[in-house]
Amino acid sequence: MSATVLHTEVGVSHEKQAAAKSAGRRFGALVVRLGAIAAFAAIMAYFVIFAPGFTSTFNLINVVEQSAILGVLAYGMTAVIIGGGSDVTEGGIDLSIAANMGLCAAVYATLLSMGYGDFLSVLAAIAVGMAVGALNAIAVVGLGILPLLATLAVLNVAAGMELTLTQNTVVGASSPLLGLLVSGSFLGISALAWALIVFSAITIAVIHGTAFGLRLYAVGGHPEAARAAGLSVPFYVSFTYVLSGFCAAVASILTVSRLSASTPGSGELLLSVLAAALLGTVFSRRFVPTMGGTLLSVLFIGLLANGFQLLNVSSYWVNGVQGALILLVVAITSFARGSEGSR
Amino acid sequence: MTNTVKGLVKALALGLAAACSLAAISGASAEELSLKGKRIGVSAIGTDHYWDLMAFRGIQDRVKELGGEVIALDAGRKDQQQIAQLQTLIAQKPDAIIEQLGNLEVLNPWLQKIRDAGIPLFTVDTATPHAINNTTSNNYNIGAEIALQMVADMGGKGNVLVFNGFYSVPVCKIRYDQLKYVLTSFPDVKIVEPELRDVIPNTVQSAYSNVTDMLTKSPEKGSVGAVWACWDVPQIGATQAVEAAGRNEVKTYGIDGSPEVIKMVMDPKSSAGAVAAQQPYEIGKTSVDNAAKYLAGQKVPPFTFVPSVLINKENAAEKGKPFLDAAEKAGVK
Repeated sequence: MSATVLHTEVGVSHEKQAAAKSAGRRFGALVVRLGAIAAFAAIMAYFVIFAPGFTSTFNLINVVEQSAILGVLAYGMTAVIIGGGSDVTEGGIDLSIAANMGLCAAVYATLLSMGYGDFLSVLAAIAVGMAVGALNAIAVVGLGILPLLATLAVLNVAAGMELTLTQNTVVGASSPLLGLLVSGSFLGISALAWALIVFSAITIAVIHGTAFGLRLYAVGGHPEAARAAGLSVPFYVSFTYVLSGFCAAVASILTVSRLSASTPGSGELLLSVLAAALLGTVFSRRFVPTMGGTLLSVLFIGLLANGFQLLNVSSYWVNGVQGALILLVVAITSFARGSEGSR
Repeated sequence: MTNTVKGLVKALALGLAAACSLAAISGASAEELSLKGKRIGVSAIGTDHYWDLMAFRGIQDRVKELGGEVIALDAGRKDQQQIAQLQTLIAQKPDAIIEQLGNLEVLNPWLQKIRDAGIPLFTVDTATPHAINNTTSNNYNIGAEIALQMVADMGGKGNVLVFNGFYSVPVCKIRYDQLKYVLTSFPDVKIVEPELRDVIPNTVQSAYSNVTDMLTKSPEKGSVGAVWACWDVPQIGATQAVEAAGRNEVKTYGIDGSPEVIKMVMDPKSSAGAVAAQQPYEIGKTSVDNAAKYLAGQKVPPFTFVPSVLINKENAAEKGKPFLDAAEKAGVK
């Protein structure tokens, strides 16, 4: 009997300790998370006070416009992370998204320059984008390759196809749709800014307002439970990659409108896209990616570059600050994960 | 003292005074250049290449020298970033904008917006109808000179490997067209088809493997006489490839004058035949002077050429040194 008592006592104290430890870590994570948000807010407050012209409507619309392409891409990336789980090494990730956008832009611009109209060219760009997404889905879901590696391979496929198509040159493009996107405006807000607003509204509504979105979170967060509840995990995961391809295609049209051409080097955007999707998790209480969080971090990245320029701080600092913030957020996320893991 | 002498002294004094005031005037017009209280926006597509960095620095240093404030923006070779920077720059309403290189097709609509916003636009090495002045080297000259040097070294016959990946960049187009024009007089010098493509980034590595492949394809000595590129970073890779393949009969030609290439041309054993060295730092400075003149109400020509120097095997020791000294002074190797 005494042995049993001792055993239980040990067990209880161990549990208590674990609970206390977990609570402590959760508290710690909360503090760091609020700290990160406070840092964001402090930077913004500094810009509002000291950067000349920062709060002017004109400037803010400029920033929304500048964030449109990154935003649309980041939604695609966020969807993939939600559906595939946010484990950085084994979870969902789409490294091909920026290269895919480059390929779609090349297809769109090339078809336009060959004289095909907007309708056919847009359709072709979207088809190519979704096809590349489907290729990712086949590699990840069908062949069971780690998303990190599968999408890295597809990145190279897409980049190679873009080079073959454009021979690494600038392909100029103009069309009625592009003209509308460049110079159109409604209620004093430019077409490109509207594109981000409308796309954001739709994405947030679908992912956070429907049963479908809820199931997507279930599939990413707890695939075993989702499977037990009768959800088709492969379907949902595949869907996110195709959606990501669709986002790449939409972003490609916005890119061509902004640059009046398809240009090499779209792949450069990948880091910013990843940054936006990862930074976004800091705005969620459970450190999961959310579309709203992604939107906030996309705008934050845009405002950061803008504020620095208005303050006449070297643009080289933007990368540094962005990198430091990513490191901070990834650290917080793994900290919070650690508390979940010990539970 | 007689009247005549008095008159003479008077005349002399007057003349001296006049000369002094003339000197004062001309001195004033040289010193008149000032950007005090002015803000100058500077946008460059990238500064990873020696030329770009030196021109970018030349602009900034000169604006500060003239007492102005610089808003310096380096887009890191990202078109999206350059457009975003220009958009914000327009909202900042600087007194003038100096734009340095980039994709003309991408830039032109935005350069138009700069002018629409009433901001005077100046460009460095970028020919566009929207600029008040473009400061650059005389690329027509450079293109012809380097082509003629190549033909002379080849003895007027042989095959040339040509890198032609950047025909869409205006200065490369001019230099390439000049090469073609020179070759019309020398029918025995032939460009090997298909032409090679230089790329950014990984320019050197890519040029190295391209040239190695072509030399492997034509193994007989003398089957290739020269390698030409419209700038000198591919020339580095090409020179290394020629030397690694032991094909010292092949000489390489390029344009810009990066210190690394000038050193190659100065080395008698190197296969680098010649390089047309530009003065990017001076080009940057001159564009600021043009902006300052314009803002002071003076007339500015649509383009300004800053002299360049052809450095070849014969004159390298003498002509190359000043360029290397300038690079060292700027802290760039």
